[in-house]
Amino acid sequence: MRIAFLLTVLGGAIFYTYIAFTDLGFMTRTGRLGPGFFPRVVGLGIVVFTLWALFDALRDARLSAQGAAVTGPGDAHSTGRWRDAATLMGLAVGYGILLPIFGGFVATVIYMLIALSIINSGKHLLNVILAIVIPAGVYLLFDRILNASMPPAMFDIIPF
Amino acid sequence: MDLFANLLMGLELAINPINIAYLLVGSMVGMIVGVIPGFGPSAGLAILLPITIGMDPVGATMMLAAIYYGSMYGGTITSILLNTPGESATVASTFDGYPMAKAGRAGPALVMQAVASFVGGTVGVIMITLLAPAFAQVSRSFGPPEYFLLAAMGMLTLVVMIGNHWKLGVISALIGFALGTVGVDLETGQGRYTFGSPDLIGGIYFIPIAIGLFGLGELFYAFYSGMHKSESGGLIDYSKEKEFWPNRNDFLSTRWTMVRGSILGFVVGVMPGAGATIASLMAYSTERSLSKTPENFGKGEMAGLVAPESANNAASSGAMIPLLTLGIPGSASTAVLLAAFIMWGLRPGPLFMGQNPELAWGLIASMYLGNVALLAISIFAIPLFVQIIKVPYRILGPVIVVICTLGTFVVHASFVEVGLMFAAGIAGFFMRLYGFSPAALVLALVLGPLAEQALRQTLTISRGSFGIFLDRPASVWIMVVTAALLLILPIMGKIGSRAGKAERAGG
Repeated sequence: MRIAFLLTVLGGAIFYTYIAFTDLGFMTRTGRLGPGFFPRVVGLGIVVFTLWALFDALRDARLSAQGAAVTGPGDAHSTGRWRDAATLMGLAVGYGILLPIFGGFVATVIYMLIALSIINSGKHLLNVILAIVIPAGVYLLFDRILNASMPPAMFDIIPF
Repeated sequence: MDLFANLLMGLELAINPINIAYLLVGSMVGMIVGVIPGFGPSAGLAILLPITIGMDPVGATMMLAAIYYGSMYGGTITSILLNTPGESATVASTFDGYPMAKAGRAGPALVMQAVASFVGGTVGVIMITLLAPAFAQVSRSFGPPEYFLLAAMGMLTLVVMIGNHWKLGVISALIGFALGTVGVDLETGQGRYTFGSPDLIGGIYFIPIAIGLFGLGELFYAFYSGMHKSESGGLIDYSKEKEFWPNRNDFLSTRWTMVRGSILGFVVGVMPGAGATIASLMAYSTERSLSKTPENFGKGEMAGLVAPESANNAASSGAMIPLLTLGIPGSASTAVLLAAFIMWGLRPGPLFMGQNPELAWGLIASMYLGNVALLAISIFAIPLFVQIIKVPYRILGPVIVVICTLGTFVVHASFVEVGLMFAAGIAGFFMRLYGFSPAALVLALVLGPLAEQALRQTLTISRGSFGIFLDRPASVWIMVVTAALLLILPIMGKIGSRAGKAERAGG
């Protein structure tokens, strides 16, 4: 996964640098440094350092693969850890999708209900209470006390 | 005499019911943020920054500063009662704080950490009062070359402190610089990396990135680490102890420890990149080497708790000096504070104290009051914080997602920024997992546009010659100081981490 992450960074860096060299001028017509000067330096820097880090990661991976051949398969515990983090990421992104559809308050209630029933499973009463009390508190804080409007709904279910 | 007049003016401004209320709320929230393991001041500040939108800048600044230094107070409570530091700057407090609590002296440990934090914080503010005007005076002659060098100093010192993963730190910083180039180029008016999107013309806003990296990224990592599965079991119940208050000997034996820790912490805090964690570990190491009974350290020695506590609070005050007088944040937390200032249309730097005396001195005066408030809160509200420690992460997690998401939305009412925040959160998780530095990215995102503008102005002035950096005495001095810091900081980091490793091995 580390190598995949570094490859993603490298891909982004190459794209960034390509734009810097093709779309942005190094100098302006008046002879001053242009909008492409800084991005070119930064982009090349990311590419060089990411390649270097990638080389290190590949070397480490080869060494650990040799170690794993001696010690046996890796830990199953890490799969569970990935699952927990990925679940929360999925729930968070789902909340982001619900927000423009149902608006701040309703989307928060739905999200809290789903999230708590998965993460804090078995405690139904507590989860329902929290799924109502927390969005209400957040609504009061942002919408009423701070006068900062909550996300509007595509479909208005409740009148406020 | 100007100093006292300015301080009095600041106090007059700070002592009004609304500002005091903001200060108390900030102190309380800061302590709560500090109590939650895995969430430090930068996460707290980033998540709560949107709440200050619409507030009066003076009150908002006071509140955010109180969250910043309040989190240092709160982080120690879990170090003492649970052997789990609320944040990295309170790791050293577990070495002797937890053994004291296990030995039935949790009450005195909690009170003494509050007193030490108060002394450290107050000494730090006194030093700011005395030194900030002098720093501002010196830096008044600075021009674009010096600003570029200061930004470079801020970045280099942070990256050098990353240690073994410095290459990943450099990549993180460069990604931050790259994100900072998105938007319209101010000199030519040409769009850069906007891809025709009107949402990107103004650039990538700092708040969604900071909330994503520090708020969601840390939260995802906490879940990956399995923190949501652990209960607060092992929490020491201090209420059953016979003595809550420290005895006379506790105060007398540690009075000079507090002074030494405060001064050392402040000096380390002023240096960009060093920060409260290094300060606390160095203070612990120093105190043990000065002690007549070093063998008692790690077994519940009061000086072993007091030294890092006074140092980390003094360091957080010290870090305000380069922020206020040079406009250069030395850490992720102060980068978030700088972004807050910019959000309110203010620009910390050499002219800041002269042009905004009310705000600058109001903030400094509020830090005196904030430390007094935090001393009281951190002693008398301990039962409340113990209840907060008991709230499991599996309930806190979804709540933090809600606050991060809605907090991002309310700034510009933009769903694009909410999307950016989620992307930054997922990227932040992987960065944390693989040894990248979210702090370097955020610092570079804040400093990048300033550094680019300063560099282009410098090279315009010099007609493209880099020799200008050697022609100006101020520039040469900054380069000398940067070189010295690049040599000193890794040594300080090694001293600190050696003290930490030795204690963990011993404990």
